[in-house]
Amino acid sequence: MNNVVHFFKILWPFLITLILWRLSVSFWNPAGILALIPIFFYSFVKPVDWFPAFGLLICFLIDYRCNLPLFWTIMYCFFYAVNGFQNYIDLEHMNKNALYLFMVFVSVGFCMLTFTYLTWNGLLNNIWLFIWISILYTPITALDKWIKR
Amino acid sequence: MTKDKLSYKIAKVLKSALAATALPIFIIYIMIAKPDYTIMNNLAHVVLPVANFVGSVITWPIRAIGQSAQWIRETSLLRTENKELRAKLDAALSNQYSCKVAIEENQKLEKEIDVKRASPFKSVIADIQFDDSVFHHNTFLINRGKQAGLGHGMVVVSFDNRLVGTIIDCGSAFCRVRSLIDADTNIAIRITGSDVSGFLRGNGKNKSFISFFSDPQFVGRKGLSVVTSNISGVLPSGIYIGDMIDEKHIDVMRPNQLSRVMVLKYDNQDSYK
Repeated sequence: MNNVVHFFKILWPFLITLILWRLSVSFWNPAGILALIPIFFYSFVKPVDWFPAFGLLICFLIDYRCNLPLFWTIMYCFFYAVNGFQNYIDLEHMNKNALYLFMVFVSVGFCMLTFTYLTWNGLLNNIWLFIWISILYTPITALDKWIKR
Repeated sequence: MTKDKLSYKIAKVLKSALAATALPIFIIYIMIAKPDYTIMNNLAHVVLPVANFVGSVITWPIRAIGQSAQWIRETSLLRTENKELRAKLDAALSNQYSCKVAIEENQKLEKEIDVKRASPFKSVIADIQFDDSVFHHNTFLINRGKQAGLGHGMVVVSFDNRLVGTIIDCGSAFCRVRSLIDADTNIAIRITGSDVSGFLRGNGKNKSFISFFSDPQFVGRKGLSVVTSNISGVLPSGIYIGDMIDEKHIDVMRPNQLSRVMVLKYDNQDSYK
């Protein structure tokens, strides 16, 4: 039983990412965009071995379903590279599981997408998604603590 | 691996370098592969179904709950919609009944107007207001009176031209009519297809009877038709009264069978008493 629990704990970051991507619903989770939360968290805040490759794959799938050629994939790579090369900001010890940096990460992406094709509808939709994904960041990352216990 | 170790730091930098290397590759790929993105799409054709399958397996319970909730919501919505549709159906049916009634009333009116035009006498159409059947008397009120040119003794018939009664009193806007079953009714009749005359009387019940035959040998029988006779000029002749149902009794038109009648403006010189 302990082995199962241990195995589950190891698999958890992958599972939650896949679950959030799979449970895509228009408006609430379009193209599984909420999967960006565990991707960010387990890549930068609580790094998990081999997770970045998986995160890259899910970013690729999000892009594919959003019809955005490699947009989030490039964003992820860029952020990963920048984070790796610097030691000024330590994401692993930031307050609130680095929520503000996550907000920066997604807001940059959303801003770029908004200004690529600027409409009122798109703007409002992106604002909504930004707020929603930021709100959900804390509970979803809090799940990690609960699972680890 | 401890974060302070050099190997960790090197691994981290290497990974970042790998990611940084991937960046221009991706960007160049986007620029040159546009608009087909063949490699990317082909890769997605493999990865997406696999990820979908794995995701479907692990999210099965969550989706089952979601679908159940959706099913409950849809059922609830269907019930609400069903209620609304039923209300609309009731309203539509009510409207349909109103239309049906209006059409039938219209047909009735057209028929009545045709009958009125076909009548040899000038006539007035009137509604029966009150059917005053009491004891052995049977009179009723109609909603036309002197203002419409009606007067005492005029003949009231139904729209199939059957005698219903005669006016015995006339107000300005109404008339009182004595029906054929009233005990005071006493009108001259004739058996059709013969010269036999007689007098029709009422008894307050549903049947009138012939109290006298001009031919003492005559024996009435079921099926003979009876019409009015113009003896003494009291009533116009030839108005159908009814058929005999036995030797003496006649099946006559009663006011409770009618809602509207026609008054023939027949001037009987006030001879009807």
